[in-house]
Amino acid sequence: MKLNPKLSRRNLLIGVLQGASLVLLSGCEKLFDSLSQNKKIQSLLEIAENGSRRAQRLVTPRNKLAKEFDAKDISPKFRANGNPPPITMEYTTDAQNHWTKWRLEVSGLIKQPASFSLADLKSMPSRTQITRHDCVEGWSVIGKWKGVRLEEIINRVQPGTDAKYVVFRCMDTDSDGANYFESIDMIDAVHPQTILAYELNDQPLPIDNGAPLRLRVENQLGYKHAKYIRALEFVSSLNKIGQGKGGYWEDQGYEWYAGI
Amino acid sequence: MAETSAKPPLAGRLVYRHNRITRLTHWLSALALMILFMSGLQIFNAHPYLYWGSTSDPDKAFFSIGASQNDDDVRGFINFYGRKLDTTGFLGVQPGVFGPQARGFPSWLTVPGYYSLAAARRWHFFFGWLFAMTGVFYLLYNLPVGHVRKFFFTPHDIKKVPAMAAYYLHVRKTSPQEGEYNPLQKMAYTGVFVVLAPLILLSGMAMSPQLNIAFHWLPALFGGRQSARAIHFILAFGFLFFALGHVFMVLTQGFLNNMRSMTSGWYKEKIPVVIETRRAASSPRGTPVSSEQEAEKSNETES
Repeated sequence: MKLNPKLSRRNLLIGVLQGASLVLLSGCEKLFDSLSQNKKIQSLLEIAENGSRRAQRLVTPRNKLAKEFDAKDISPKFRANGNPPPITMEYTTDAQNHWTKWRLEVSGLIKQPASFSLADLKSMPSRTQITRHDCVEGWSVIGKWKGVRLEEIINRVQPGTDAKYVVFRCMDTDSDGANYFESIDMIDAVHPQTILAYELNDQPLPIDNGAPLRLRVENQLGYKHAKYIRALEFVSSLNKIGQGKGGYWEDQGYEWYAGI
Repeated sequence: MAETSAKPPLAGRLVYRHNRITRLTHWLSALALMILFMSGLQIFNAHPYLYWGSTSDPDKAFFSIGASQNDDDVRGFINFYGRKLDTTGFLGVQPGVFGPQARGFPSWLTVPGYYSLAAARRWHFFFGWLFAMTGVFYLLYNLPVGHVRKFFFTPHDIKKVPAMAAYYLHVRKTSPQEGEYNPLQKMAYTGVFVVLAPLILLSGMAMSPQLNIAFHWLPALFGGRQSARAIHFILAFGFLFFALGHVFMVLTQGFLNNMRSMTSGWYKEKIPVVIETRRAASSPRGTPVSSEQEAEKSNETES
């Protein structure tokens, strides 16, 4: 049989490589899909999360502040993301009445359980900061926040030494009715810029951005910044909170440490 | 093998070119870069827009991948400074089981293939650490033995570039190469070591809110966090460009010989290696004796 002159060694090589790369690509996709859903591989990859947290905290002085911007840097619109605002009658009525019924309940491993109205929080010393908000999706906006430092609350309720985390209980729910919640540890809780904000850009916190009260934790990504907060809970472990990962998004695979 | 290399330096003899640390870190980096690139595209898909500056004003994206729908007609496009290019089927819209599906980069290019920002981030950060640590390990081992100097591009190499380019472009018949690496190779590898790798690591770290607190200069170095994100994306394609060129050269400049040198370490030299001896002599720790000793060691363990 006469060999097709066009079927030179080079063409053959190119053809084989093209075929192989196609097989490889579709194989690759299936491989990485199944690896991504494999528990052992997932826990291996999770090593990086602890590594990032330890390494990043090691190089960050404890009370060093995130960059604060100028008024001219404020974004024209502060983009809202995540769950839609709560739609319960209780929430919408209270919103119309300027949050006269709303209380921040504080419980858990503390010496002084407490409950604060929005007026109580506003009467405490406040902090104002113009900071950049970074979403896990990749976008960033700059806004001016005013609120009470979380450490201010901590000083009043006096958590015990066994309290390691603050859990934020929220009023917003996903389409399945599951409530949003988040948690940070005491190191981030007492950071000078970690505040419970009730104002955005000199206006009462808009409903889309978490009214009446939301968290600002400037060393982490947006999904840690719990909105529509109704209660704080001081706990020693996150194991029994939600599915045990420490947050709504964490239970769906996102890292608890969102400093990266 | 050790006997072969003991022969006088002649064209065509086998030389022990890549020590075992170089070979190990080469394949680890190749794997890491592939996964970093593909998981990075998945992360990009979560917000397929690029901006300059600190923030992301939706109207000011200089690059985006999008989809638009006109009745039943779904079109994918890229937008670069207002210039739109239809990319239906590849970028923006990919064929799916239930008809066209809006998606930035297609499934076959991302890790994982299904949409999961959370999973992509886990892959990306694990292999980001692995890539960085592999690089540090490589340098700690290879800088002292003088391995890096062999392919480091110096001003001295600039005037040799045209002759080498002429050879590759088939304008010149004989290779002007002296020593183990030619000036174009040196340029490519030095570019990766000095420009691409450090900048892609720094621009990646410039997106971390915690590291932004630790090092305020980090996002500023790139002109803001969104600029750092855009530069990170562009550099990733710099790596892709390098990888494609690298693989092309490996395939066309003696595939088996190149593969042998990056798996067993032994490379069939095409040119006299007199220059190599002279350079080795100037570095006491990188003498041919020490590399042969290592070659013998590696033969024991790897045979």
